[in-house]
Amino acid sequence: MKRVALALLALMLLVGLTAVGQAKLTIWADDVGTPVFREIAAGFTAATGVEIEVVEIAFSDLRGQFITAAPTGEGPDILVGNHDWTGELVVNGLLEPIDLGLRAAEFNAVGLEGFSYGGNLYGIPYGVENVALLYNKDLVPTPPTTWDELLTIAADLTDVESGVYGYIVQNPDPFHWFPMLSAGGGYIFGTDENGGLDPCDVGLATPGAVNGAIIFDQMIEDGLLANGADWDTMTGVMFSGNGGMVISGPWLIGGLRDAGINYGVAPIPSIPNGDGTYGTPKPFASVRGVMLSSFSENKTIAKDFLFNYIATEQVALELFAKDPRPPAYLSAFDKVSDDPDIAAFGQQGQNAIPMPNIAEMSSVWGAWSDAQALIGNQEADPIQALQAAVQQILDAIGCEE
Amino acid sequence: MKRPRLSLALVKVVLLCLLDAAAIWGIILLGVRGSYALLASLGIGTLLINFVSFSKRAYPLRYLLPGLVFLFGMVVYPIVYTVYISTTNTQTGHILTRAQVMEQLGQRTYAPTEARTFSSAVYQDEDELLRVLLTGANGELLLSEGDRFKDIEPDNPLLVRDDQGTIVAIGDFQLLNLGGLYSVLGQLETELFAYGDTFLKVLSVREFTEVLPLYAFDETTGVLTNLETGVTYEHVEGTFTAPDGSVIEPGFRVSVGARNYTDILTDEGIRSDFLRVFTWTVLWSLFSVLFSFAIGLGVAMLLNDPYIHGRMFYRSIMIIPYAIPAFISALVWLGLFNTDAGAINRILIDLFGSAAKVPWLQHPIWAKVMLIFVNTWMTFPYMMIISLGALQSIPSGIYEAARIDGASGLQRFSRITMPLLLISVAPLLIGSFAFTFNNFTVVFLMTGGRPPVLDAATPAGATDILISWTYRIAFQGVRGNQLALASAIAVIIFVIIATISAINFRFTKALEDVHRGV
Amino acid sequence: MCIAVYRRHGLAGLIVRHALIWLVIVFALFPVVWIVSASFNPTNSLQTQQLIPRNPTLQHYRTLFTDPNVPFLRWLLNTLKISGITAVGTVILCALGAYAFSRFRFTGRRTGLLGLLIVQMFPQMLAMVAIYLLLLAISEYIPSFGLNTHPGLILVYLGGAMGFNTWFMKGYFDTIPRSLEESAMVDGATPFRAFIRIIIPLARPILAVVLIIQFITSYGEYILASILLRGTEMYTLSVGLRFFTQEAYSRRWGTFAAAAIIGALMILAIFLPLQRMIISGLTGGAVKE
Repeated sequence: MKRVALALLALMLLVGLTAVGQAKLTIWADDVGTPVFREIAAGFTAATGVEIEVVEIAFSDLRGQFITAAPTGEGPDILVGNHDWTGELVVNGLLEPIDLGLRAAEFNAVGLEGFSYGGNLYGIPYGVENVALLYNKDLVPTPPTTWDELLTIAADLTDVESGVYGYIVQNPDPFHWFPMLSAGGGYIFGTDENGGLDPCDVGLATPGAVNGAIIFDQMIEDGLLANGADWDTMTGVMFSGNGGMVISGPWLIGGLRDAGINYGVAPIPSIPNGDGTYGTPKPFASVRGVMLSSFSENKTIAKDFLFNYIATEQVALELFAKDPRPPAYLSAFDKVSDDPDIAAFGQQGQNAIPMPNIAEMSSVWGAWSDAQALIGNQEADPIQALQAAVQQILDAIGCEE
Repeated sequence: MKRPRLSLALVKVVLLCLLDAAAIWGIILLGVRGSYALLASLGIGTLLINFVSFSKRAYPLRYLLPGLVFLFGMVVYPIVYTVYISTTNTQTGHILTRAQVMEQLGQRTYAPTEARTFSSAVYQDEDELLRVLLTGANGELLLSEGDRFKDIEPDNPLLVRDDQGTIVAIGDFQLLNLGGLYSVLGQLETELFAYGDTFLKVLSVREFTEVLPLYAFDETTGVLTNLETGVTYEHVEGTFTAPDGSVIEPGFRVSVGARNYTDILTDEGIRSDFLRVFTWTVLWSLFSVLFSFAIGLGVAMLLNDPYIHGRMFYRSIMIIPYAIPAFISALVWLGLFNTDAGAINRILIDLFGSAAKVPWLQHPIWAKVMLIFVNTWMTFPYMMIISLGALQSIPSGIYEAARIDGASGLQRFSRITMPLLLISVAPLLIGSFAFTFNNFTVVFLMTGGRPPVLDAATPAGATDILISWTYRIAFQGVRGNQLALASAIAVIIFVIIATISAINFRFTKALEDVHRGV
Repeated sequence: MCIAVYRRHGLAGLIVRHALIWLVIVFALFPVVWIVSASFNPTNSLQTQQLIPRNPTLQHYRTLFTDPNVPFLRWLLNTLKISGITAVGTVILCALGAYAFSRFRFTGRRTGLLGLLIVQMFPQMLAMVAIYLLLLAISEYIPSFGLNTHPGLILVYLGGAMGFNTWFMKGYFDTIPRSLEESAMVDGATPFRAFIRIIIPLARPILAVVLIIQFITSYGEYILASILLRGTEMYTLSVGLRFFTQEAYSRRWGTFAAAAIIGALMILAIFLPLQRMIISGLTGGAVKE
């Protein structure tokens, strides 16, 4: 009888304790981020007793599932994702603004800009990456500094019969194509009078952009660039040592190292404007960071986690160790930039501009990619294709003439 | 018909009583919670089950009810939902309900000039009520009472200090430790505590700050006022808009009637691309079904032949294409059809020289050929299986009689096998046609609708079928995620395909009559 | 079919028939041999490899069974469970429904049948959101059948049970003469008894066909599964495989191929015994006049 009473008492105590209500945070991350955040979360749990659950979701599903789940209360407190989701998520009322105050100075400005919308910051960046020129030192001892040099090297090396490509890049792929168009002054959205992006000012058919497109077209016609090369083709060529140069990002380095390629990283060669001057290519910066859901029921705790755990040099270095993107946390970046690759990407990154994060961007990718495909397939000339793309984008967004 | 045994009837009644009791309890529960839709479904469902169990006329329904329940829940309800969404303005910027938006706006605050920040400590008593003590920059103390803060003197006898001077209790309320503090922050952070002429709100784990609510909403006039700038907003189709055109994000979902439908049906761009996309969709479905059925039936007949040894082995191999999930096959074939490095082009070049290199993904015609080829490959095992099954139902005596009458192999096939086969299989062919018509996966994964067509008014590529085209318009236009528009297009596609199928079914009715004659 | 349907073939006939079969086999297996090859190839690319890998390795298969981030066995078990229950459930629901449509005459029979099929043709693009909300509501009251549960997913899949399969089965039932049941009912059996004792055994081929079709269909379904299931341990094989193709920068073709092959072998293992049931219509034919 006594034992039963004791057992009951213990049970009541247990229930009583748990009835207090354990605070809990949920984080959604993709396959790369999940193991890292689990480790970081363990430290937070040890210090505060707050349980953190990290759920792994396929990267391409993260945004869509968050939009579906958050308003129903089934979403996470914290979302790990890309900066170009910001506009759409804010406009849907799904993100909570984050005020870093003076601590903003600890971060890369481009990273912060990527997560800013309407004057507020909605995410803490942890990795900023951009593309640059990666080259196989065995085939290309010195990297080219101008595009003409690149063409010469490519012409020498390329031998399609034996599968050797002097230059290769994923196409159609607007993200990788942008440096060529931006060198001469091409842009996606212009700025309006408030400093925000003006979705009705699309700069994909400016003379500078057309110039870059013409060079691209010429390369395909001359057989110096494989039309329709996708990720698998490109990695196949590069990892087997049959590729001289490629425009790609830090994500390729792991594979290059595993394949034992003697690679180097250099800035993308400047593009001739046709009048003797050269334009500097400005690649897109893609920022990975951590966002806070406006439907979270533990915003204060989440902010505590973000400010005091994520936004620290130590964690920035841990994240870098698992997911080698150049850190957005400035002091961490300094620590790791004795790695020549990071330094080189960082150097190129000084000319990088963040991908536009406004929701209207979703109208751009498809039409832009189609334009590149039409040019590559030789079904349209550059100016036609780009102008048609701009028209389609403006129609889709609903801009009046 | 003999009357069912008494014990069986008793069991039935008992079970039904239990079910009804559970249903009544469930209905009360739902009523209390206010979920009227679920309540209605539960009520109707229970009534139906009762009716069906006792009515003789509804006897067939007993067989149909279980399947129908699932059908209604998982197939019909999404259709109803889709139609509902198509009458709203659900899209990026309008996915929340009005209540959710009002709640969010109500939480928004701004900092008054010279907003003060206070460090905070939280106390809890045995009944789990909370009180917050704030300490200002000059040492002033504020104590919460309900939903407001009042000044309190440092020498107030309620305050119990320890040796270091930290206040560890206030009356019956004990200072919360770290774990306890974290577990109550969620409750505290949503409250606005009044203090003097401003409000105080949680700023961080141990801080409060002065804020003022940003918006005030007048229920009667429906006007939202920004208290910081003075700008007034009224809602226009789910978005709060100011006279100068500026808007507040987010907006909310409202009903817009048939607007989405008229937009689609009158849109120039959509109309010009529709015919091309529709034609290809029909051709693609038709050829896929035709070719896969031809191969499937042919193989089924070959493998039904008892004189072919190793039939089991052959059939098992044939099913493999069907046993590999579609998205995997699509990706693998995509690699094989790659223009430069794919195996197919490499084989063609080996056999016919480098002029045989086919631009599978870049050329509109070849891309279409590739898609039909791949879909045929994926579907023919299904056709083989159903043909095998249907062939079993043809009585063999007929063939014997026909052979005696001197019918040739071809005649036996076309006069006996095909018509009898088609009776069971025709609906499946129509179904397969409809499935392929809506087969998003293959087209999207392999070509994404490309290669693009110059001067298309909408993003409609050469291999876009209606459903992938829909996806691109709806999810890659304006600000993306135009669920309402996509729903409307889905309904329109449904009307089209249902009409085509209904016409085809009339055709199969004729076939059923053939069977009666046999 | 009875022996009388086919005649013994001469040598030429046999060669032609076998050749045709092998032609189709080459067609069917062409990509599959590449997948098998990729599963043994240490480089993780599908394109520049030769058909026979230079340094064949078992590492991808090993990863499947040892990597803690890839609970492959759990995925297989989950899939067997979910697809198996769905398939069996579908056959039961479908058979019941098909019997009613075939044997009983009631108002709305024709329309009902047509309606069943038409309803399946609705583009299910937005079904995801609707079903998500439905399961969310169920989660509130019966959590074990709601979001992120296997029973919940099975419920969703059973929604597609009555559809084309019903019509298919009905067509088959139609060819079974009523005289059999009528004589049973004269002897005192209820329609349900006649159904169980007479129709079902005769309908074995069609039951097996619907079983395997539904099994494969739910095996390959990943769209709904990836929305309704969270957490790697809960996944089915398709969702897990999809992960491999969605990984940010490294498509692990080798592991992916190995997993696909094992999955296909699992289906083969199920199909083999079912084959016997499908062609058992041989004996069924003896009953028909």
